[in-house]
Amino acid sequence: MPGLMASAPSTRIPPTADLARMHRERAERVRQVMADQGLDALVLMGNTNVAYATGAVWPLADSGRAGFEQPVAVVLAHDEWPHLFSPVREDDRLRVELPPDHLHGPVYLDFDEGVQRFAAHLAELVPHKARIAIDEWTNALRREHSILFTADAPADGGKMISRAKLTKTPDELSCMRESLRITERAIAEVQEHLAPGVRQTDLTATFLRSIFDAGADANVLDPIWQVMPLRMADGPWTTTGDLACPLLSTERALAEGDVLWVDTGVSYAGFHSDFGRTWVVGRAPTARQRTQFDRWRAIMDAVLDVTRAGATAADLTGAATAAAGGVKPWMPHFYLGHGLGIDSAEMPYVGSDIGEAFDASLVLAAGMVLVLEPIVWDDGAAGYRSEEVLLITEDGWEPMTDYPYDPF
Amino acid sequence: MTVTEVLPDDAALRAARRARVLAELEAAGVDVLVVGREGNARYVSGAPRLWTAGSRAFGPGCVLVRATGAVHLLSTWDEGIPDDIPHERLYGITFNTMNFVTVLQGIDGAATARSVATDGLTPSFSRLLPMAFPSAELVDGEPLLRRARRSKTPGEVDAIRASVRVAEGALATAEAALAPGVTERQLTGVFMEAMAASGVTTPAGQDVAWITSRERPWHRASRDVPVAPGDLVAFEAGAISAGYAGELGRTRAVDGDGHVRALFDRCGELWDRLLDACRPGAPASDLLDAYDAAGVPAPPMPVARGLGLGFDLPLVTHELPRTAAEQRLEAGMVFALAAYVWEEGVGAVYGQDPVAVTASGPEVLSTKPFRKARSR
Repeated sequence: MPGLMASAPSTRIPPTADLARMHRERAERVRQVMADQGLDALVLMGNTNVAYATGAVWPLADSGRAGFEQPVAVVLAHDEWPHLFSPVREDDRLRVELPPDHLHGPVYLDFDEGVQRFAAHLAELVPHKARIAIDEWTNALRREHSILFTADAPADGGKMISRAKLTKTPDELSCMRESLRITERAIAEVQEHLAPGVRQTDLTATFLRSIFDAGADANVLDPIWQVMPLRMADGPWTTTGDLACPLLSTERALAEGDVLWVDTGVSYAGFHSDFGRTWVVGRAPTARQRTQFDRWRAIMDAVLDVTRAGATAADLTGAATAAAGGVKPWMPHFYLGHGLGIDSAEMPYVGSDIGEAFDASLVLAAGMVLVLEPIVWDDGAAGYRSEEVLLITEDGWEPMTDYPYDPF
Repeated sequence: MTVTEVLPDDAALRAARRARVLAELEAAGVDVLVVGREGNARYVSGAPRLWTAGSRAFGPGCVLVRATGAVHLLSTWDEGIPDDIPHERLYGITFNTMNFVTVLQGIDGAATARSVATDGLTPSFSRLLPMAFPSAELVDGEPLLRRARRSKTPGEVDAIRASVRVAEGALATAEAALAPGVTERQLTGVFMEAMAASGVTTPAGQDVAWITSRERPWHRASRDVPVAPGDLVAFEAGAISAGYAGELGRTRAVDGDGHVRALFDRCGELWDRLLDACRPGAPASDLLDAYDAAGVPAPPMPVARGLGLGFDLPLVTHELPRTAAEQRLEAGMVFALAAYVWEEGVGAVYGQDPVAVTASGPEVLSTKPFRKARSR
């Protein structure tokens, strides 16, 4: 069956992005959030928060590398340009257009000497008794840095970025569409290689080659090609008593009839993609599996029917649950849906364990990007799960993904 | 070896690592260790979890209680979890931070702990952890973790060797693809494909190749510029296998290295000085001094970076001279050692190999080191 765009073409996503305008508008949003909170400065260490605030793009590495080469951003309330402390200073790839005096060398905040150097910079940048927010800190930073840790604990800088990035600008949507398109192109290559005897890691090999050939900056998640058990009881034990997913890929060879739950994502221009489908190895789905897919479509359609700016997350979970006959059609350790953008999963979360009161209070807004990932599980038929990425609009939604559901 | 199921780390390796951390907790008087960094969680638990790219903010990913030795781990399922972490000590993925508080409160020893160490914090967990550990002072867990981790057990050195083999194999494929017209981004894809085809799907970095600049000692242009005849192309090849990083750096001339032989020789001479400085007990600043002695300016990357599970000591860089002077190289340390020389109009030659410091001197862990061993 063809993908979502066949029935609902996308009209509001510009074909190309103006990156300079994107960065400028983003910087304005960050400083607006800071102004709302009465902040003088924002210090950011998390890779994706730094990417959002500065527009810097670098190929994300293993998380262990962060201690060796973590870029740090400082956003000031009254300066249109953020400061970036980066191990890759002289580098066109960062694609930042910062004035030279806003681009600094690395600060190594895992080391006292690095923190002292950073503190000296910060003391010059921020006024005395400034109100500063920070997203996270190393112990060395906590120990050495008296400017940040005054009588009040520092405000939560991560929340500031969460707020700023909640809705996407047209330029951001254009970058996100490209990130999703790269993923879909690579996935199509992988699906061509799907056959009995192929190992999970072979699918990963094809995927990784293809995403870089298609222009990705990085892979963001060790790709999931999970062979689903027919019955839940045949899978691993879980804390929820429900399904275990996502499980890690190995050199396991796929067998005819294996049902795969696929989940991947890449990074392009700082934006993460997300992709989910269910495949059957080497043969057509059974009648029971087709029925699962039909029910999944019915659930997705029911959710899409109520999805628009002004709807609450509870409207979506309610529609999904009603269409599924009264049970929640998503995994209890995840959600029915989640936001997507600079992070692979970000606000808004729909149907998570933050709770029903939160879902009832969360109102969708135009410009939000939502990944919906309901599941259907029939014990004995290995279940069905796919993901669709949507742009929320005033009068409904537009698809951001366009991948067929084959073999369904 | 073909691995077709998700397995915990080897039992002896797990036991040796955990014993080291427990001994450090004992020495530091810390009752409970709460770690967020994946490398620290793996070191303590021995459990593989999903690889994602980029840094992660602190969250209670793994908890170790000194009095009982009990490990509590963030994992919704038991696949790949060692059998010494029973089901009741697994806690699931949550988006509600108050659920973490409930989990931590339920840990045997949480209520009475006087000292709780972490490997980082966020504003929200700086408020929530005191609710979970009401009698405790939150302290810095980094020094004890660094003491436990910086010297590798023989099992860890073997694990690093295995990762280096993976990186070497994939690097050879990427080097074979080097030809005029190919781009850096495509070379990264070739490396990744070969690494995954060999059974390891997780890279240390994703910036595998770059055309070194002829105009500036350190500059990278777009990743989509095609390689041209005469270019010196640097490779930074790293794989994460069973959690451990194996990393290599190499430089190849696109059309033979006859015209740049002198630059390769200078890099080799620098390497010899660097390797000579890798003696147990020596200050790490000897590595910085080796650059000065060779008359080579500071490189754009750290001279030495610890190899292990994620972030590990030593970190030796010209940016942190005092830290380098205070750090001593010790037998058991393993690090990626980098030699980098640049010449205007020519480009750069970069060589990096994993080096283990032993009581009798340095040992290069790659099978084909970038600098052939000298006869001594």
